[in-house]
Parts: sequence; C-alpha cells; structure tokens
Amino acid sequence: MTETQPNTPERQPSAPRGPWRLFWERLRRKKLAMAGAWILLALYSVSLLAGFVAPYKYDRIDKERSFHPPTRLTLQGGLPAVYRYEKFGEPASYAIAEGPKVRLRFWVQGESYTLLGFLPCSTHLFGASDSQTPLFLLGADQFGRDIFSRLLYGSQISLSIGLIGITLSLSLGMLIGGFAGYVGGSSDFVLMRLCELIMSIPGLYLIMALRSVFPASISSTTMYLVIVAILSFIRWASSARVIRGMTLSLRERQFVLAARALGQSRLQIVLKHILPSTFSYVIVAATLSVPYYILGEVVMSYLNVGIQEPEASWGLMLNAAQNHQYVQDYPWLLAPGGAIFLTVLAFNFLGDGLRDAADAKSS
Amino acid sequence: MSPTPDSNTNFSSAPLLEVCGLQLDFLKDGQALRAVDDVSFELKAGESICLVGESGCGKSVTALSVARLVPSPPARYVGGQIRVNGKNVFEMSPKELQQIRGGVVSYIFQEPGASLNPVFRVGDQILESLKLHRPASATREEVVQLLKLVGIPAPEARIHDYPHQLSGGMQQRIMIAMALASHPRLLIADEPTTALDVTIQAQIIELLKDLRQRIGMSLLLITHNFGIVGDLADRVVVMYAGQIVELAASATLLARPLHPYTRALMNSVPKLGGESDRLTAIPGNVPNLGSFPKGCRFHPRCPKARAECSESVPELREVEPGHWVRCPFWMS
Amino acid sequence: MWTFIARRLLYLIPLLIGVSLLTFLLMSLTPGDYFSELEQNPQISPATLAQLRAKAHLDKPWYVRYGYWLANAARLDFGYSIANKRPASELIFERLWNTCLLSMAAIVLAWGVAIPLGIWAAVKKDGWADRSCSLIAFVGLSIPEVLLALLALMFAASTGWFPIGGTQSSDYFLMTQGQVLIDRLHHLILPTAVLAASELAGIMRQMRSNLLDTLRAEFVTTARAKGLREGSVIYRHALRNAINPLLTMFGYSLASLLSGAFIVENVMAWPGLGRLTMESLTKKDPEIVVASVVMATALLVVGNLIADLLLAWSDPRIRVK
Repeated sequence: MTETQPNTPERQPSAPRGPWRLFWERLRRKKLAMAGAWILLALYSVSLLAGFVAPYKYDRIDKERSFHPPTRLTLQGGLPAVYRYEKFGEPASYAIAEGPKVRLRFWVQGESYTLLGFLPCSTHLFGASDSQTPLFLLGADQFGRDIFSRLLYGSQISLSIGLIGITLSLSLGMLIGGFAGYVGGSSDFVLMRLCELIMSIPGLYLIMALRSVFPASISSTTMYLVIVAILSFIRWASSARVIRGMTLSLRERQFVLAARALGQSRLQIVLKHILPSTFSYVIVAATLSVPYYILGEVVMSYLNVGIQEPEASWGLMLNAAQNHQYVQDYPWLLAPGGAIFLTVLAFNFLGDGLRDAADAKSS
Repeated sequence: MSPTPDSNTNFSSAPLLEVCGLQLDFLKDGQALRAVDDVSFELKAGESICLVGESGCGKSVTALSVARLVPSPPARYVGGQIRVNGKNVFEMSPKELQQIRGGVVSYIFQEPGASLNPVFRVGDQILESLKLHRPASATREEVVQLLKLVGIPAPEARIHDYPHQLSGGMQQRIMIAMALASHPRLLIADEPTTALDVTIQAQIIELLKDLRQRIGMSLLLITHNFGIVGDLADRVVVMYAGQIVELAASATLLARPLHPYTRALMNSVPKLGGESDRLTAIPGNVPNLGSFPKGCRFHPRCPKARAECSESVPELREVEPGHWVRCPFWMS
Repeated sequence: MWTFIARRLLYLIPLLIGVSLLTFLLMSLTPGDYFSELEQNPQISPATLAQLRAKAHLDKPWYVRYGYWLANAARLDFGYSIANKRPASELIFERLWNTCLLSMAAIVLAWGVAIPLGIWAAVKKDGWADRSCSLIAFVGLSIPEVLLALLALMFAASTGWFPIGGTQSSDYFLMTQGQVLIDRLHHLILPTAVLAASELAGIMRQMRSNLLDTLRAEFVTTARAKGLREGSVIYRHALRNAINPLLTMFGYSLASLLSGAFIVENVMAWPGLGRLTMESLTKKDPEIVVASVVMATALLVVGNLIADLLLAWSDPRIRVK
C-alpha cells in the first residue's frame, strides 16, 4: 500500500515488497516454524542417506543378542569409544564387560548397501573398530536387530509416504474440485455427494475396509503403494471440497473480474490469478496434513495390515512394543514412537508458522 | 494553550470533560506510531461538540480514550490528561472507571449490528445497563419506557428480539436506549450514522437532537461529515493526522473556515439546498500512521502550501476569540 | 426445528445405504471367505463346502447378497455371524454401546479440561500460562495415539493401578451391582484418558483463538463502555460468543474422535466397533464389517446432528434459519 506522492520528496516510501517476500519475512520471524524446518531438513537428509548412516542393514539378525540394551558411548583417550557387554542368564540380560573399550571409527567398511537406491556402496558413516562388538545406539529388538539402523531404514517409508500421499491426494483434489467447481451442474452434484459419502465414514473404518480388498501378504513395494493409495483416496475428498469452494468464490472476486474486464484470456486468469490465490492454502494444508499420512502408515503397520517383516517401518517397529512386559523390561522398543513424535511435531511447528505467515491478518 | 470556549457563551458550569495535551502511540512491530498528538479541548455540561476529520485522523481514538476504552497494548498513553468531572481517568482505579463508564459517559458506535451482543436479547442488554447504574429502576417497564423514548414501535414485543432480527436503524436506536439507560451526563457518538441508509441517518440525527433538548446532556459527536455538524454541534473540532487543525463555534466555522484543510473538507461535502459550488476532492491520501510528513502535516495536499510549510509544525493559535487555527497563513 | 431434525434424519437413509453399498462392494472384492481355510482340510469335501457356502448365500453374486443384507438390516437384523456363532445384531449393538461409552466419556473429559485451559491461556495471553498451554497443545497434537496408548498400558502394567483391556473384570458375576459399576468405571478410565488427551490439544487451541477473536469484537467494547467488570465482559459477553464456533468444530472433531477410538480400542483391547471391525476382517466375516462401518457412520452423522442442534440452541442467529 505504498503510494508515491509527487510533492513529498522527503518522504521515503519503503521499497515495495512482493507477497512472497512478505510471506517469507513473516515466516522467518517464527522461531518454532524455523526450528521445525531445520528438524525436517535434518531428518530427510539422514533418511536419504539411511544406508550410509546406519551401521547395519535393517534385516541383519543377531540371534545371540536379543534385546541387547543401547550401547553406551564413552571417551577413550579423548576419542569416542563404546563399552563391550557380557550376556548371561536366560532370558538374557546384559552387563558392561570389564576390560578395554572398543574404539568408534568413522568411514568404516561394512555391509554393502545401495546408496540412494542405485549406488552400490559399503562405506558407513561410523562403526565399531572391532566388528565382533555390536554397536546398538538405540538397543536391539527381539531378533537382535539394531533399532537405530531399522529406524533409519524405516524413516524412508514414513517420511516419503507423507510427501507422495499429499501430492497424490492434492492433485486428485484439485483436479476433481476444480472440475466440479468449473463445470457445475449434475457432475458437480454427483462428485460432491461422493465426497460427502467418503467423508462421512470415520477414517480408519474406511481405511481398513479398503485394505481388506488386497491380499493379506503382498510384496513390500506393492504394500507401500497400496498404503499410499488408500490414504490418499480417503483424503482427496476434503481437499476437493475446499478447492471447489475456493474456485467458485475466486471466480467472482473483484481482482478476477477486473482481469476479465481487462480482456485477459481465461487461461491467463486461471494461471495468474486463481491458482496463485489457492496456493497459500495448498501449501499450508499440505504441510499440516503430512502427519496424517505418517500416522496412517503407523496405525496400519501397527495393526499388521501394513508394512510387513522383515522390512522396517516405524509403525511395524512399534508393534514389537505391543507386549507391555517387553516394554517395561526393554523401554528402548519405544524409540520409533519418539521418532514419529519428533517428525509430526516438526511438521506441526512448520505448518502452524506457514499458516500464520499466510494469514496476514494475524500479524 | 488549551483552547476554551468563548467567554461570552452561556455555559457557566465547570467543564464536564477536559482533554489536555493527549498523546497516544500505537505499538506495531516494535515501533511506536503516534496516533494522537497533543490534542486539547474541553466540553462543558450541556454543551455539544463535533469532532470532524477523515478516517485515521485520531478522532475515534480520542473519543474512546475518554473512558479508557482503547486497549493497551497496542495503545500506549504517552502524555496528557483526560479529566472527567475534574478527575484524571488515567489515575482512576478499575472500580472508579466502571462507574464513569455508563454512569457519566455513554457511547454509541458506528456499526450497531456489531456493537450489540448477538446472543443476548436486546431487552436484556438494556436491563444490564440499568442494573449497573440505576438498580432501583432495573425493570421491564423501564426498558419499555426507554425504547419508547428512542422511538421504537411496539417496544413490548421488541425487548424479546435478538439484535439480528432488527434493522440497522432500529439497532442503533437500541444502542441509544442502552446508552441513555444509565442517565449519563455525556453521550459520545462515534460516527453513529455512517453505517446506516441515508433516510435512516436523518432519523437518527433528529432523534439525537430531540433527546439533547429533552434530557439536556452533553454530546461529543464524531463524524467525517460536515452535513450534520450544523444541526447538532455548538462547537467543532477539526482533526487531521492526529492533531487539531481548527477549533471554533460551529456557526463561525461553517460560515468562515480558516484552515485550508477545513475548507477542502467542506468543499468535498455536497450541501443540500445551497447554491452548490463544484465538489472538489482533496488531492492525495490521508497519510498513514507513522509516516506523517514533516512540518505541517497537511502541506503535501494543501493547495496553498509554501516552502516553509514543510519545515516546522505550525502552532494552534487563537486568531479570533474562540477560533483556533493551526496555520500561519490563515488570512490568505 | 422439528422439520430440520426430520430432514436431517431422512438424509441419513440414503447416506447409510450408500455407505453400506460401498462397504459391501469392497468386502465382495476381498480375496477368500470364511470357508477358505477349510479348503485345506482334506476331511471336508468340496461338496460340503459348497453346501456350507450356499447356506450362507456365499454362492450368490454380491449384489444379491447385498439385497438380502439390506432387507434384513432395514429391520435392524444384521444376520448371523458365522465366525462368532451368535446373532450379529446382538454383537453389533453391544460393541456400538462400548464405542459410544468410550467416545462420550472422552468428549466429556476432553472438553471439560480443554475449555478452561483455553480460556485461561487466552486471558493470560503471552504469559507463562499461555506459553505452557501452547507447548502442551503442540505435544498433544504431535504424540501418536498408538504411542500414547502403549505408554498407558505400560503405566497400567507397572503400577497395577488399572486393569488392562476389556470393559469389566472376569469375575463380575460375583459382584454386587455397585461393585460392577465401579469395576466398569475402573476399566473405562485409562482408555478414556488416552482418547481425551489426543483430542484435548485441538479444542484448547481453538478455544483460545476464538476467545481472543471475540475479545476484539465491537460488542465487547460496548460491554466495557457500559461499565461492566472485566470478569463479566470476558465470561458473560465474550465467552458466550466464543463457544459458538467451537460447537461447529465439535461436529468436525467427531470424525477424528471415532478414528482415535478405533486406535484406542485396538491397542488397549477395548471391545468396541473398531476392534470388532479388525476382528471380523481377520475372520472373514464381511457382514459384520459392513454393519460396523455403517454403525460408525451413523454414530458420526448423528453426532454431527447433535452438534448442529447444540449450535442452533446456543446461537440465536442460526435458530431462525
């Protein structure tokens, strides 16, 4: 709203700032939102390089070290090292062994894996110098698998499922919502009744009913796609309704009418005026609904209708904590719960900040 | 240098309201923006004053400050005093303030629809005011009487209505009834007709005029419309960008406005009946809070601006008895 | 008002038919049926299997079976559960009641705690109370229900203060009526607390922002200008208006509440509709799944209707429409 006033040379009108610039400046002032963004950046980077950061593969079983506690880190001669553990009794319990500790080394060679899905590689970020000494940063599960490594491999599923799911459901929602709002008439009526039908069934009931259409055990890739498809199928309805409503109201807004009066083509109007106006809603809605997909996978895998052993996913790993006797004795089994919490919290921080920044009224 | 009314006017009692050097900032993004700057005037019992100016000139904030109704933060009082019955409202306890509000000073606002609580019946809202200030007469009959006083037809039925069931004009009458219920000595009306239809505006102005004569209370009317000044005001205060630019008896001011802004403002209002000159819009825009021009705040838009106008803020001077102007070149 | 309710209830019928049709279709696409396992059993001849299937109408195409199902369901008869060996309606209504009980208890607890906290946070805006409430809200919004339920189970197991799973103790038939009631409440507490905790954060945040919005409204200035005490301004004039948008939210939040109940039921072994759905899916008992989904939907729609009625009761502007 800066007016240039010809007869006020001493007034210095502040440089005009575009809406995105303003948006960014408002966002940058929100500490929690920025914290959330940094946490997510870190989580996604580590997840991308899971094979490299994880000391072991997700399915490496060590039957001798069932429920091994988290390995304690220490310093030896100023360098990082880990304690060794002794096992005794049945069911097994572990205690720190006397004697020398084992050095922790970086850039060690270990099991081979494929980096980013195509680069064969066997270098790991860190590992114990003695390959006989286990390095379980977050302990081991019933089968002696490293929970930390499984958490990293599992993050590839949990973290990507949200992004893919939101892309799918939003594109479907924008397509159908935009179409319904644009065409109107009976197709609008039918589509909106369908949306209402889907939205009136409590989410998890519909998820489970849809899931039952597919066989109980299928390959892990197919399962991943099935989960994403089901979660997106349920979610598109609400975004379609919102987008339809926005299309309808935007069509009548003054700036669109003005653009039409200026003789801009319909495509120009949609591209330059209507879509950018829905964009801030789309970004905020996307960020705030990523947790829905993450939690959806968690619930499905936890209830044994999602990702299956020996694959790793956060929900599936929580399933091991189902037995409360185990959880009491081996609390590290709850580590995936912490990971889910941190991720969802970061998304909520960021989404909240984005919403406030997009809503100029609040500042 | 507080401008006082003419010594020869017939208001003999002590001032009911004195505003002395009021300064108020709004805090926004860590910046203090001056919204009201050194505003002084006084109002005697029974007197009626109009505060005139464009939106954003500080007139509403000044009026709301009388009963400390501007929430702070974001507002911050920097200097000056407001004395009601001789007592500074900035030094009052919450209890004293509650007695002043309604008891001495009542308000009506621009949007009656938004100013009435949507979930309570209008009768109950008026009754609430009675209970606070005149508990002895807090009865249904008194409410009906008040509705009759403000000219609401079938008052017995209306008291059970919710605000949204009434028209804008009726809602404003309800607001007036509610304001009068507590028998205030001063009614502050903040643009009471702006949001209403033109025909309704005239009715509400008539009502205020009539009530003033009948009840004999003081009136502080805030408006941006010179059309209603002559009808209601004894004196007029013209404000621009947080400052008073002209203050005079309404007859004097309407006949001979001295400040260029007052003249421009009057020329931009269509006059009914008068041999109409051309309507002239004031060039430029009202300056935003925090970006007031240096020197005389009106000079960028002033048709008679000179070089020295941009250098220092002119003082508000009494150029004739009771006529104050903030422009050294008022004579030209 | 009554026509409004009647219209909404009438709308329920096509909706429930649509939901049952959709679910039935999905169930018919499910690979295998209840008798699939018996196919491996050499002692059961294919002829017997065919007979069994015919008896359960499993040899007919899905739309014929849907016809049977719908005709019976219209009389609230959901058939016979072959997996559970008991009339389905009995089972469904028992589980529906448990889900209702859990959800209502959680609603009462969540709203009872969230509203005062939200008001407190709004009144003390930017103070320590507000900040800690907002922190709790973020944590509450982000903690997965599965984890919360697991933690509650762990808590119950390690302290022994609460029973694990079920609605009542196995020896309930030895108890007096009063003891039975207390025993049931004892079983209800922990699942309710978990479900309420996950709902609480959203309500609290909404309450806070509603009240802050309302406190900026012009009628609040009017109320102050009258000379009302700040307490009356907030708790009488502002609060009464801030509640209204919350009632709209109540309707929306029911869907997430029922999904939350689904999780709590399955993790904490509370025998409600959600648990029944999972059990029946595993046991290949499609009729029960369809009935559960329909019942859950009905619960949601009726809950929404109640929310709308509450709103109409609370907001005179809606009442006339």
